[in-house]
Amino acid sequence: MDGNEVRTCIRIEHLSKVFSDNGRAVNALDDFQLEVNDGELICLLGPSGCGKTTVLRIVAGLEPKSGGVVTVHGRPVASSGRERGMVFQEFALFPWRTVRRNIEFGLEVKGLPEEKRAKISRSLIELVGLKGFEDTHPKELSGGMKQRVGIARALANDPAVLLMDEPFGSLDAQTRNLMQRELLRIWQATKKTILFVTHSVDEAVFLADRIVVMTARPGKVREIIEVGLPRPRDRTSREFMLVRGKVLAELDEEFEKARAKELSPD
Amino acid sequence: MGGMQRTLNTLKKAILQNWKQILLSGVSLACFVAGWWLYSAWLHGDWPFEGRERVDFAEYVPYPWVVLQVFIDSFQHVDGSGLYMGEHVVASLKRIFIGFMLALAVAVPAGLLMGRSKAAQAIGSPIVELLRPIPPLAWVPIFLVVLKFFWGPILIVFLGIFFPILLNVRLGARSVDPVLIDAARTLGARRSQIFFKVVLPYTIPYLMTGIKVGLGIGWMCIVAAEMLGAVGGGVGYYIFLTAGMSQYTTMYAGMVTIGLLSVITTGVAGLFERRLNRWMGMK
Repeated sequence: MDGNEVRTCIRIEHLSKVFSDNGRAVNALDDFQLEVNDGELICLLGPSGCGKTTVLRIVAGLEPKSGGVVTVHGRPVASSGRERGMVFQEFALFPWRTVRRNIEFGLEVKGLPEEKRAKISRSLIELVGLKGFEDTHPKELSGGMKQRVGIARALANDPAVLLMDEPFGSLDAQTRNLMQRELLRIWQATKKTILFVTHSVDEAVFLADRIVVMTARPGKVREIIEVGLPRPRDRTSREFMLVRGKVLAELDEEFEKARAKELSPD
Repeated sequence: MGGMQRTLNTLKKAILQNWKQILLSGVSLACFVAGWWLYSAWLHGDWPFEGRERVDFAEYVPYPWVVLQVFIDSFQHVDGSGLYMGEHVVASLKRIFIGFMLALAVAVPAGLLMGRSKAAQAIGSPIVELLRPIPPLAWVPIFLVVLKFFWGPILIVFLGIFFPILLNVRLGARSVDPVLIDAARTLGARRSQIFFKVVLPYTIPYLMTGIKVGLGIGWMCIVAAEMLGAVGGGVGYYIFLTAGMSQYTTMYAGMVTIGLLSVITTGVAGLFERRLNRWMGMK
C-alpha cells in the first residue's frame, strides 16, 4: 500500500496573533509557518514571550487566531476537539478525581460505557507506569507521576496529535530526564504526532525529530533544525553537543534581540 | 465492635496530639466562667466581696451553677410557667432546617450562575448588594404581618443563612482554575459538562464554608425570628417569654441552649465537610 508515503498531520500557514494589551495592539505571532508530519515529534523552542505556547493553544483550539490557516489532517481547527490532546505544565489534573477517573474524563464526557472506559484506562495506566495507583488522588502523587496521569488522560481519547506545553518544566532535573525517556517510549508505542513546547535546548535535542527555533516577538519560524541522531541519544556524545551548539547559537541571537528590545521599548 | 474501637483509638490519638490546644481551650472556658462568677458575686455582695451591699439588679446576673441547674431542669420537665425546653428546641431546629434547605436550594444555583456568567452577575449583584447589609431583624415586623407566624420566622432565618452560602459559592465558582477548564475542553467536554464536572465539584469546599458560616448566622437570627411569636414556639421565643416574666435564670438557660445548638450544628457540618474533603481527595 502507501507504505512510505508521509502524510501531513498539522499544517500551519501564515498564522498571526494580535493581543490587546490595555488597548495597545501587541503582535505575538506573525506569519508563522509549520508543517508537521504524522508520527513526528517536533519541539518548539524560543526565547520567553516568543509565542510558542500561543501556537500550541491555537492548535488546541483554546485560543482564537487573528489570521492564517491551521488544519489537522486537512480539517481546519475552529475550537478544541478530542483529536487534539493536550498536556499542561501545571498538570491540570482534577484534584477530586482519582488517577483512573482523571484518565477516564474524556471517555466519560464522550459517553462511553463504564466497561469500555475501564478497559482503556487499564491499558493506559499500564502504558504510563501507574499500576497500583489507580485509586490514588493527585495530591498524593509526585510531580513526575502527576504528569504520567496527564499524558495518559490526553491519550485516552486516542487523539491524532499530542500537544505538550512545557510538560516537564516544573519537574526536578532527574525526574525530567526520566520523563523524557518515558515520553519517547510512550511515543514509540503509540506513534502519536507530538508538538512539544520547551525552553530547554537540551530537552529539545534529546527528544525532537526536528527543532523549530522561533524568533523573538513577533514570533515566527527562524530556523528548523533536523536533529538526525539515532535514539536512544547520549547527552554527552560529541554529535549531541554539536547539534546542541548549533541550536544554542541560533537561540542566543534571538535572546540578544529580545533583550535589546526590552531595553529600548519602541 | 471493631469500628467502635477504631473510633475510640483515633479519638485518643487526636487528644494526645492536641493536648496543648485542648488544655488552653479548657483554661479559657474556665476563666470565662470564673469571670462570670466573680461579677455575679460582686453584684450579690457574696464571698469574696462580703461587706459589699447587694446591687438591686443582681438577679439579672445569676451564678453560673444556678443557670446550669435550671438549664438541666428545663430539659427534664415542664416548669412552673408551663414551659418545656425540649419542645422549643425541636421547634427551632425545624425552623433552622427548613430555612437552611430553602437557602441551599436558592443560593447554590444563584451563586454558581453569578460566579460563572457576567450577565447573571450584572442582574443579581445590585439586588444582593442592596439586601445583604440589611439585618434580618429589620424584616421581622413586615414578614410577620405578611407571611404570618409560620413562614415569617422561617424566612428571617433563611435570610441569615442565604447570603453566606451565596457569597461563598460565587467566590468558589469564580476561582475555578482556568487551566482545569482548558483541560476539560481539550478532552472534549461541552459547556454543560464543564459546569457539572469541573465547576460544581470545584465549588464544593467553598459551599461547605458557606454552610458553616450560614448556620451560625441562622442561629443568631433565631431570637429575632421568634421574638414576637412563632408557630410551635422556639428557643428564641422561650428567651423572650421568660425575660418578659422576669425569670432571668431561665432566660439564660435558653441563651446557653442556642449557643450549644449552634456549636452542635456547625460541628456536624464541619464533620461532614472533613468526610467530604477526604472522599474527594482535597485535603
